[in-house]
Amino acid sequence: MPAKLVVEGLTHHYPDEYTGESVHALEKINLEVQEGELVTVVGPSGCGKSTLLNILAGLLPYREGVASVDGIQISGPGSDRGVVFQEHAILPWRSVAKNIGHGLELKGMVKEEREARVQDFVELVGLSGFEDKYPHELSGGMKQRCAVARTLCADPVIMLMDEPFAAVDAQTRITLQEELNRIAIATKKTIMFITHAVDEAAFLGDRCFVFSARPGRLKAIVDINIARERRIWADMNADDEFVRARDEILRLVREEVSVAVEE
Amino acid sequence: MLSRNNLNRFSAFWRHFPAANAINLTLIIIGIMLIWLVISSTIENPARYLPSPIVVVLSSVDMIYKGLLPSYFGDTITRLVVGSAIGLTLGIPFGLLLGLNRTVADMFYPLMNFFQSVSGIAIFPIVVVWWGNSDKTVLAVILYTSFFPIAFTVLSGVREVPLRYIHAARTLGATRYQIIRDVLLPGSMPHIATGSRLSIGFAWRAVIAGEMLAGREGLGWMIFTGQDADKTAEVILGMVMIGVSWIVLDHYLLRPFEADTIERWGLVQR
Repeated sequence: MPAKLVVEGLTHHYPDEYTGESVHALEKINLEVQEGELVTVVGPSGCGKSTLLNILAGLLPYREGVASVDGIQISGPGSDRGVVFQEHAILPWRSVAKNIGHGLELKGMVKEEREARVQDFVELVGLSGFEDKYPHELSGGMKQRCAVARTLCADPVIMLMDEPFAAVDAQTRITLQEELNRIAIATKKTIMFITHAVDEAAFLGDRCFVFSARPGRLKAIVDINIARERRIWADMNADDEFVRARDEILRLVREEVSVAVEE
Repeated sequence: MLSRNNLNRFSAFWRHFPAANAINLTLIIIGIMLIWLVISSTIENPARYLPSPIVVVLSSVDMIYKGLLPSYFGDTITRLVVGSAIGLTLGIPFGLLLGLNRTVADMFYPLMNFFQSVSGIAIFPIVVVWWGNSDKTVLAVILYTSFFPIAFTVLSGVREVPLRYIHAARTLGATRYQIIRDVLLPGSMPHIATGSRLSIGFAWRAVIAGEMLAGREGLGWMIFTGQDADKTAEVILGMVMIGVSWIVLDHYLLRPFEADTIERWGLVQR
């Protein structure tokens, strides 16, 4: 079966905002994401992982290399690639339900059909009873649940997530990670999840792409063979496969951090 | 008997008493009236310099009876509503357009700055030359006065909408028009609210000034002719009417609009 997302020889430079000097963000990235797979991308800060996500989202034009979803080359934003941003990206002037249904509304789906679908996703992310609340009335965790539901409700081919749980507190983060795992089981969605947290990358990923320090290269791919149904935080520290994967990712990332510090 | 504790308890109760604000305001107004009454009864020739509140109230009764006050008031409000409505209807899209396109904005910006500084009063004489002492003149000046504040604030409002909201909408598949409708317009609502308040406030002043200089009826006209005819009570009555109308307008139109939009969305706190 052909891969859902294919990136070949992707290289990217961008001018620094202040000095104008060319920054070499990505160097010859080759990767594939299969249908229904959840891959995590981890690397030291400044390794270009957010640049990669912005290119895949179509928000950042690229010149060198190829990136395509379902065989169609990426050349701008599109509803085939849904994005969950770091934080504060759901619209404050729309209620929870209207935020979640926004993608369908933009496609012109009729109201009755849309509302039924929105309700499914409200329930999927556990926001029942909060449909008519506005974002400023929600906690950080609920806002991100709403953001995930908004992206899924538009039914993208792939969901791109840019450190979506980085800004919430530790307890909420654990809950959100377990919920995302449950959602991945329920929807079988293809997901690319960017993070700087090693344990998060090991807990969520079927595979983990470890990036090198700038310029970002795909340094290693770590397989994590744990059935999704078994991924519960309470069991993880006793899970040999999780511990092995986490330690390996940590070792790979540490090498890069020390390289970055020595430079 | 009246300990500090009791006093504290009473003031806490009073703050949470539903009608406390209304009663406080009434007391302040009565206080001002009393001071006013005392001053006007101690000076010479109060009818010319400062007629007592009672005389002002009597003159208002007289003017309502003659039908002058309702008619003047109606004229002024109509001018305000028509003039500022046109000003806002033109100013909001214009500001939006400038906010969307930096090249166009840079082109128009110095020109807008120029006209912003030439106030409504300053353009009066030339408009009078064009259209004489007519409704058209007054309306034109109100429109001119209300256009620039709203256009300016909407322009900066559009620019201040966080990029991440635009990105989020684009990745949901929004077209350019949908981004304007669903993101930029609601996102600049705090600025639209502030700008509308500024615009209508300026328009309100322009109406009064316009009626003084080029009108033949309205509250401004009433104040102006009141002075000539030595009817100081009518001058004061006109001033009070202007202030009270603004408070009513603010309370029943601007505040509810803000409460339903920017406050409901948590974009501003009160």
